[in-house]
Amino acid sequence: MREVTAVIRMNKIQATKEALAEAGYSCLTATLAYGRGKQKGLYINPLGNVKPDSKKAAIRFIPKRMLNIVVDDESVSEVVETLMRVNRTGMIGDGRIFVCPMNDAVRIRTGERGDDAL
Amino acid sequence: MGDVMQMIRAIIRPEKVDEVVDSLDNGGFCAFTRIDVFGRGRQKGIQIGPTVYDELAKVMLLIAANDEDTDEIIGIIEDNARTGSFGDGKIFISPIDEAYTIRTGERGL
Repeated sequence: MREVTAVIRMNKIQATKEALAEAGYSCLTATLAYGRGKQKGLYINPLGNVKPDSKKAAIRFIPKRMLNIVVDDESVSEVVETLMRVNRTGMIGDGRIFVCPMNDAVRIRTGERGDDAL
Repeated sequence: MGDVMQMIRAIIRPEKVDEVVDSLDNGGFCAFTRIDVFGRGRQKGIQIGPTVYDELAKVMLLIAANDEDTDEIIGIIEDNARTGSFGDGKIFISPIDEAYTIRTGERGL
C-alpha cells in the first residue's frame, strides 16, 4: 500500500478529480496548502512584469492544492501518470508528486484493515 | 535512481515560520509546502484563566530532502523554532519512495 501525495495548481483540481475518477480512483483527500519550489516564490512588480532576477520574492508562498491518495502497490504508476498528464502545463509551478510507503489502513465504519479498506 | 529521500514534517509555531524559512533559504533549502494546522500535545492544550484552548494553531512545513541533507535541515529547524517553552512543536521524518516533477516528468528532487 502506498500513499501518493501531489501538490498541484489550484485551478487543476476539478480536471484532476475527473481524470482520476475516470481511471477508477475516486477516493482522495484534498487540502489547501501553500508552497514554493526552487524559484523561492513569485517575482511580480505592480505592473505585472515578471522579474526573476530580483533578489526578494514578492509572493513567498503560492497557494496550492495538496492531494493525498492511498492506493495499492500496482496502481501507483497509473495514478502518477494520470496526475502528470492532467497537471502538466510545461511552465514553472506545475507541482510535485511524492510516493511514500503506507503500512496499514482501517475503514472506521466496518473495521476492515489493509487493502480491503481502500 | 539509488538515492534515498526523506519527507520532513515539522510542526512549528506560526510566528516562527518566517525565521525558519529564511534560515533554510540561507542553508540552500528553498522548496517547501506549508499547511496551516491545529493541534495539541502532551499538555492537552493550554488553559488561560477559566478558558481551555485544546486546539492550538500551528504551521506544518513539508520538506522533501535527500537523505544526507536531513540532519542539517532538522538542525536548522530546531535552532530557529526553539523558544524553550511548551508548544515549540515536533519534527517527523518518513521515507519517500519516489518523487516526480510534474512539469518535466523527471524523477527525483
